Amino acid sequence: MIRIENLSVAFGETEVVKNVSLDLADGEILGLVGESGSGKSVTALTLMGLAADSARITGGRILFDDVVLREAGKPCDKALYRKYQGAKMSMVFQEPQTSLNPTQRVGRQVEEMLRLHTGMTKEEIRKCVLETFEAVGLRDTERVYASYPHQLSGGMRQRIMIAMAVILHPRLLVADEPTTALDVTIQSQIIELLRRINQKQNNAMLFITHDLHLARRFCHKVAVMKDGEVVEEGPAAEVFGNPRQAYTKRLVESVPSRLDGGEKTPEPERTKEAPVLQVRDLWVYYQDGNDKLIPRTEDADAGKGFSLRNILFRNRRQFVVQDADFEIYPGESLGLVGESGCGKTSLSKAILGMNRHIQGEIVHHCLRPQMIFQDPYSSLNPSKTIGWLLQEPLRAAGALDKSAAMTKKDMETAAYDMLKRVGMEEKYFYRKPSELSGGQRQRVSIAQALITNPGFIVADEPVSALDVTIQAQIMELLLKLQQEMHLACLFISHDINVVYKMCRRIMVMKEGRIIEIGDREEIFSHPREEYTKLLLCNGEEKRDNSPENAPAVMKPGCGAYGVPQESGQGQE
Amino acid sequence: MGAGNGLQLGRNPFAAGDRRICRRYGFGNSSYERGREMTRGKKTGSGNAGNLKKRWNKYLVAGMIMTGIAVMLGVTGFFWTPYSTTAMSASERFAGPSLRHIFGTDNFGRDIFSRVMQGLGTTIGVSSLVVLFSGAMGILLGAFTGYFGGVADEIVMRITDALNGFPSILLTLVIISLLGTGRQNVIISLGLVFVPGYVRIVRGEFIRLRDADYIKRARMMGAGKFRILFIHILPNIFSVFWVSVMIGFNNAILAESGMSYLGIGVQPPDASLGNMLSDAQGYLQSAPWYAMAPGLTIVWVVLGFSLFSEGIRRRAE
Repeated sequence: MIRIENLSVAFGETEVVKNVSLDLADGEILGLVGESGSGKSVTALTLMGLAADSARITGGRILFDDVVLREAGKPCDKALYRKYQGAKMSMVFQEPQTSLNPTQRVGRQVEEMLRLHTGMTKEEIRKCVLETFEAVGLRDTERVYASYPHQLSGGMRQRIMIAMAVILHPRLLVADEPTTALDVTIQSQIIELLRRINQKQNNAMLFITHDLHLARRFCHKVAVMKDGEVVEEGPAAEVFGNPRQAYTKRLVESVPSRLDGGEKTPEPERTKEAPVLQVRDLWVYYQDGNDKLIPRTEDADAGKGFSLRNILFRNRRQFVVQDADFEIYPGESLGLVGESGCGKTSLSKAILGMNRHIQGEIVHHCLRPQMIFQDPYSSLNPSKTIGWLLQEPLRAAGALDKSAAMTKKDMETAAYDMLKRVGMEEKYFYRKPSELSGGQRQRVSIAQALITNPGFIVADEPVSALDVTIQAQIMELLLKLQQEMHLACLFISHDINVVYKMCRRIMVMKEGRIIEIGDREEIFSHPREEYTKLLLCNGEEKRDNSPENAPAVMKPGCGAYGVPQESGQGQE
Repeated sequence: MGAGNGLQLGRNPFAAGDRRICRRYGFGNSSYERGREMTRGKKTGSGNAGNLKKRWNKYLVAGMIMTGIAVMLGVTGFFWTPYSTTAMSASERFAGPSLRHIFGTDNFGRDIFSRVMQGLGTTIGVSSLVVLFSGAMGILLGAFTGYFGGVADEIVMRITDALNGFPSILLTLVIISLLGTGRQNVIISLGLVFVPGYVRIVRGEFIRLRDADYIKRARMMGAGKFRILFIHILPNIFSVFWVSVMIGFNNAILAESGMSYLGIGVQPPDASLGNMLSDAQGYLQSAPWYAMAPGLTIVWVVLGFSLFSEGIRRRAE
């Protein structure tokens, strides 16, 4: 139905899409995978006629049912495109937060599609919108209809976006990383919804993602892109199970996989060594007003009696971490998984001493634990050179403790040494962070955290912002350094497969509570909690892949597409 | 003319600059910086040729040439002028521009070019000191209030709000009437009036950066508070601060000229561009060159600095 023939797109002089040919039939899901900057999104946007004006088509053409939509050397025919956009082809974007207009009720925004493309009356439009809401698994549709985007949760917003995209039953649906911004449990619901829509409406779907697991689970066909070119194309099972190209092989191997088994780090001997970190009965809270500590027992009773104290202090503090109790031994890494907002970050902040609002006990047996941040673009001071950044922890340590002070020469040597240990060349010593790629920055970030040999670090999603191949390298590096330096690590991630590879022990958090803690194998093979099962299910992969037998995460049979419904109570 | 301009701009010296900076740099918007970093990373990847091209642009070159000439003349004017700036000559009153006197002579037969040179020196000197004083105060107050927040922040910000509430020309008049006229009093009064603008800009930047990951990390290393303030954060606000300094410099030039024009700034017989303009007012018909020389000089300096700051801003982007 859709044919892209030898498409090339250029911004100025640089070609970002080179000679791409794709075919898409009705009812087919084509996955477009690749690393960032590989030209996936530009291809999709050009197909939709949404690419920026500065993007020129330098070769090839795009056909929709044998009608030429775009051709090389011709400007975008806006009038022709308007007939197709929305009605025959529509798009779901990555960020549901930014793709809805915050000042309009969502019902009106969805209605607009019908008002522009059909001649329905007001009542018909309203009815149709409510039906579609129901179909995409939104409960309490009347209320959702009258809500503003900020009153809905991320998952609900993405459902609204999908409702908007499918309400006219388009024959082509382009989904550009529709689940990347969502939590893992919501992710699988949205994927399930898209799958049902695809089966029900029999429309073609172009699914763009960087997540290979997702592509494997969800797509019939897959095209792998690299530097603007399609390097491999074929049925999903074949491409992933039996990659022909070296790049695809590397890509597939880079993805952390439970089937490969985790890293065989030696079991730390817990009996011999004292734990490097002990957390006892830790509660972390946010409080407005004064910093005065109130014993917890009193607070727990709040709301029961009517004493003056209860009335004054009730609701004034919110516990974001409750009753955390664990320890970490030297040389081991403890994985911490959970959804956003479950208290992972609050817990790590408390451990690092950045949040004073705590009750309970945190005992460090190491000096100044350090942290590796998620975003390599904001964790290095842009005005300093790499060499300066690496020496700064040593300088700070020297200033705090005169006995630990080092000479300038020693610090420089240590910095060069550390740079080499994280696999970077010496020439980077005098470069600034802006001259480095994301992966290189993360290496420097790691080097900066480890140069004082802290013994214990917190790694907050250290690989989530990186491309898969870089991700694999950084994980390799972390494992290597951990062994070399006998380093204990609290490894926070939402990606269950990454945690599986990196950690022997895993801790699962939900709504501020640690609901499960234990050995990797044990948790993965016999999860005790329902929630853990759900989390595991999302990272699941099957080697004998085909979309039909992919795991159905939720019980089907609620909405018109047979998807579980999301309650209308979600408030952000 | 020049004075009217000075008065208008003097009303709120940072009104235009403030907004422009806010828009360009997006206070409190960390994603902006990330975006900037990313694009920069990509561009500089191509090597040094791209860097050089970015380093020079036509605004910067034109601005540097114009300000360079003005500063050179002004600095020379401190030590040497072609003629004495005070020597009168009855025979040469109102001589038009000629080779002997390139800008002509005034009502006392004094050489206007020499007086412009001296006036330029005074104006640039006064403005530099004003900017230095208010900039330094702005960095100190802004850094502490922005980084630590709390009660001190509240107090300082309310005081700046109160200062901003007055038209700044009124405020300078009040301070001048308390301290008396004269060069150093002009510096003090203008300096005080300009402080709030800098405090606000510096404070905003410190608030934006105090929660950045790299600052958190510096805290975790155990770096001292002063070290974080002035070594970790300060260099990162430099590009924003530099633009506001340039705009502030322009405003200081106009404000100083305006005050001298009103007779509350530099006192005769010392030359200043402002009081030359006010003297020339009576002879607009008979000796138009008398008013034109200081007027065009002010335009020249202000335009030069505007181009210079625009060039620097473009280079930073």
